[in-house]
Amino acid sequence: MFIEIGHFCVVLALVLSVLAMVSPIVGLKTGRPDLVRIARQAVTLNFFFVSIGMASLIYSFLTNDYSVKYVMATSNSKLPVFYKVAGLWGGHEGSLMLWVWILTAYSTLVVWLHWRTQPVIMPYLLSIQSLIMFGFLAMIVFLSNPFERLFPVPPDGRDLNPLLQDPAMVVHPPMLYLGYVGFSIPFAFAMAALFSGRLGEEWIKVTQRWTLFAWMALTTGILMGGYWAYYELGWGGYWGWDPVENASFMPWLVGTAFLHSVMVQEKRKMFKVWNLFLIIVTFSLSLIGTFLVRSGVLSSVHSFATDPGRGLYILVFVATMMSLGFGTLIVRSGKLRSQIEMDSILSKESVFLFNNLFFLVAAATVFLGTLYPLLVETLKTAKVSVGPPYYNAVFMPVALGLLVMMGIGPTIAWRKASSDNLRKNFLLPIIVAVLTTAAAWLVGIRTVFGMAGAMVVSFVATTIFVDFAKISALWARRHEINYLLGFYQAFTNNQRRSAGLITHIGVLVMVVGIIASTIYQVEKVVPMRIGDTIQLKNYTIKMVGLHEVSGANWTAEEGLFEVYKGDRLLTVLKPQKRIYPVSETPTTEAALYTIHLGHIFLTMPEVGSDHVTVRALINPLVLLVWIGGGIMGLGVLLNIFRPRTKASG
Amino acid sequence: MKIWHIILVISIAGLLALFYKGLWGDPRAIPTVLIGTQAATFSGPEVRTGEMLSTNRFHGKVILINFWASWCLECRTEHENLMALNRRFSPNPNFVMLGINYQDRLEDAQKYLQEYGSTFDHVRDLKGTISIDYGVYGVPETFVIDQQGIIRYKYVGPLVDTGYTHLTDDILQPLLEGRSISRS
Repeated sequence: MFIEIGHFCVVLALVLSVLAMVSPIVGLKTGRPDLVRIARQAVTLNFFFVSIGMASLIYSFLTNDYSVKYVMATSNSKLPVFYKVAGLWGGHEGSLMLWVWILTAYSTLVVWLHWRTQPVIMPYLLSIQSLIMFGFLAMIVFLSNPFERLFPVPPDGRDLNPLLQDPAMVVHPPMLYLGYVGFSIPFAFAMAALFSGRLGEEWIKVTQRWTLFAWMALTTGILMGGYWAYYELGWGGYWGWDPVENASFMPWLVGTAFLHSVMVQEKRKMFKVWNLFLIIVTFSLSLIGTFLVRSGVLSSVHSFATDPGRGLYILVFVATMMSLGFGTLIVRSGKLRSQIEMDSILSKESVFLFNNLFFLVAAATVFLGTLYPLLVETLKTAKVSVGPPYYNAVFMPVALGLLVMMGIGPTIAWRKASSDNLRKNFLLPIIVAVLTTAAAWLVGIRTVFGMAGAMVVSFVATTIFVDFAKISALWARRHEINYLLGFYQAFTNNQRRSAGLITHIGVLVMVVGIIASTIYQVEKVVPMRIGDTIQLKNYTIKMVGLHEVSGANWTAEEGLFEVYKGDRLLTVLKPQKRIYPVSETPTTEAALYTIHLGHIFLTMPEVGSDHVTVRALINPLVLLVWIGGGIMGLGVLLNIFRPRTKASG
Repeated sequence: MKIWHIILVISIAGLLALFYKGLWGDPRAIPTVLIGTQAATFSGPEVRTGEMLSTNRFHGKVILINFWASWCLECRTEHENLMALNRRFSPNPNFVMLGINYQDRLEDAQKYLQEYGSTFDHVRDLKGTISIDYGVYGVPETFVIDQQGIIRYKYVGPLVDTGYTHLTDDILQPLLEGRSISRS
């Protein structure tokens, strides 16, 4: 019964989204503000209706109601309660519900927070948000209905995909969607600005925090997905250039370009068309990501069931949004000429320009690699796959270039950098970078990426250090306080900039983790019997046992491996080869031991009758990838929640 | 209309057309048209020795071809089975096994073979043409060519569990004994 109420509420939300899409525009044309207000109530109601829809599904999951087809397909009576709730977004239909629910929550917040301050663009904003809402609600109601019933009622469910039965699954999809959907807000503001003709810097200033939040959520989602892949898929890597990983990475890259280039418009009133273009591309890529994952166009570990009908619908929706976005931009771009010319190539503006170009080239690289198989298949019915070698060769140099600019951008002067400015800011970092590279060579780092990484990271780290040291000294001198207090005051005085630098530090930490764990990974795959040992650098791994264990909804063979350094026993690792009987799916559970921010990583890809295949890895400094991510997040939080009264920019 | 307007419109239209076309294909479907057709001959340098190898030399034998790469993690899971397969069938003079190294760097491939060991030859697919001839869309993929040079079997993914036993017991064994195989 409850599920029918949920269903009904979602259908109501669909109807209301049409109302909220049309009425503000009619209100605007006829000069009736009450019609705009109606749309506001409709959007707010939609949040409640979709929430009820979500609640009814969660209720069905918790009460094991297998007469609901979706619950039957993604849950099981033996599934732990924890995953029953997360099971809601474990399949196509439910994850669309999550998408819409987040969208309604965002829309409601935006409408209420900006109602007073943005009266001119509000009708357009309401209409655009409602259009997006309508697109997804219609898909749920007509093509991907999670409320559908089954008859006769099966005795039990088919179980949630065992790979998804992982704590990260509870947080990873909501975070990703908070990011994807979050970009709809700057997108809607940008569109509203285009429609209303209010093409100044206002929409950028208003959406700055929203964009940052969406960016942070997307970053967190991607990193959590990486961590999940790292230990759950058992291949010991956190990034595989899978089409779906790429689908989340592309909007991230363009979104990051957008975050940076808006600063140029705020300060110098340049890049106006460019910023609109970037946000439209970012949101389009979010939608294209949804299309790629759900249409079965590309082969990936993440694919949902393939269905051309659904794919066609999403494609039509993507086409509509893109035509609307780019079409309006083209029509309006005549009004958007930047009056100001670039003064010098040695200026902050030009570094920002290059930053943007590099981010776009990086995104285009990933885009090409992702779609190349599809292109080839379409043109000559052959099948190809693009492997990591392509990305490593093409993407890495671009990434290094971006890192270099990360060092230059924040400290170089606007308009035209004087040679004095350049010398003060970059002489010391260049010296440090050269010395570090030499030191890296001396300690035996010989690979190109290792040395380039050492050079670039030390350069950028020194620029940030010099910057912080200089402003601390300045404030300490001006207010006659000590350096620490000086740093605190300088930091909070221009918190937006300082917080940005913190995010940059996070990026550096992450880059160190990526380089170390990629280049200095040690790996062995060997068949082992009980009593066998393998040597992995300084560590000895000895197999001491193999026995059966079982959990709530799985059974497993668990290996026991003692890890020694010299004669000292460090730990006993217990990797498992699990079987989930309901879906007859095997999974490989990795066992990890943390040493010096790195991992000893053990899996058993195969358990045979007389031996097991063991895959043992040392991933040095791999934890820095996620610690760096945490620092980046901290930087963004400091930025979002900076005091409003202080100077910004 | 400015020039960038036109470029933008054309590229978006092209992209959407590509997506539309892509909807009607299944990315996991493998073209099986190759089965029953004459296998393409190929040649290339051996990964470890650099010596040129050509399939012409193996005419009249049952040939097993395995596409792999050092960056391919799935390939590692089937490695033990490939070695076992070679141990089992290589005593038969009518059997030969070839690895084909796909989209790889030479030093990586050599390191891989050194680390895991291999008892059969591996050809480098220098220009990627071998993979194209065999319609390889990812690694690992395995093909069986019979004595007449006809492709008789194709397997996508790592040869483990039933995939492996099916290949050895239902395909290779009958072929080498001159029996007919059931198509699957």
